[in-house]
Amino acid sequence: MKTIEEQIWDYIDGNGNAGQRLEMKKKIASDEAYGSVYRELIIVQQHLGLMDLDEPSMSFGRNVMDLVNQEVPPVELQTKIDKRIISGIAAFFILGIIAIFIFAISQSHFTTSKINISITFSRYLTPAFIKTFLFIDIIIGFLYADSLFRRKWMS
Amino acid sequence: MQQQETDLALITAVLNGDTAVYAELVKRHQRFVFTLALRFTKNREDAEEVAQDCFVKAYRALGTFKQTSKFSTWLYTITYTSAMTALRKKKPDTQSLNDEENSVQLPDMGQSDPTERKSAYVYLNRAIDSLSADDAAIITLFYKGEQSLEEIGAALHMDANTVKVKLHRARIKLKEKLQYLLKDEVKELI
Repeated sequence: MKTIEEQIWDYIDGNGNAGQRLEMKKKIASDEAYGSVYRELIIVQQHLGLMDLDEPSMSFGRNVMDLVNQEVPPVELQTKIDKRIISGIAAFFILGIIAIFIFAISQSHFTTSKINISITFSRYLTPAFIKTFLFIDIIIGFLYADSLFRRKWMS
Repeated sequence: MQQQETDLALITAVLNGDTAVYAELVKRHQRFVFTLALRFTKNREDAEEVAQDCFVKAYRALGTFKQTSKFSTWLYTITYTSAMTALRKKKPDTQSLNDEENSVQLPDMGQSDPTERKSAYVYLNRAIDSLSADDAAIITLFYKGEQSLEEIGAALHMDANTVKVKLHRARIKLKEKLQYLLKDEVKELI
């Protein structure tokens, strides 16, 4: 629950939709509690608009440029990274992995025997399992919807 | 928007080898970076050092600047990090960010020089100085930096909701500090 002051700051900051803003405007006009807080806050707002930025010393810009001139000139990151180097490193590792794999296979002697794999899915797909699965799905759905609406509301 | 486009054009020029153009970027943002640094250090010399450090770091990392966000937001993030590093180095001389105990007390406005009373913004700056560093930076970024709550959050490593809460809290404190100034004006309005 927002306090009157919070609601009015939101109104002054221009937050909320047109309906909420209109409702607040009416409250300020009709309700003295809201009206008096609004008058106070609007003056604070005007004073905050008077805020001035401080000025560094006259030599500030020159000092910064003196320091900057001792640095290596910056270049765009994309021009710094040569794609051929990246491809070369990737190729080296891929070839290395393939070579190790081939060597390992050539050194091994396989003896195979028949393996019987039989899985009975019906044993696992019990009603309790399906209900749990759906319940978790619904919770994930709610979490996703919550984050989606929250993001929309924030924007 | 125009300012942002021009910033990007200047950055491109610097990255293409015209490093002297960086002076224009410094000139454009120095007041804000310095003010922001001052909010944290509460001392002009230290703030100037932090601001210089910030511009040098920004220059070194200019190639990594993702041009999807505002240059100013990126610069304020560097300012915040530089200020935090400076504060950690100078710990014995500095104040805790959230500690209100060390806050600067406003003079009794009723007994102050009448000429001083005239300039409301002097009181305002004093009132802002009396806030915690985080709150003062948020107020400055919100009102002078043309930054959204999300951008302020990105610059100060907080989420937007925390920034909103802190902004509200800071405005309540400022209102209390400025009560003397407000009293007469509110009466006039009523």
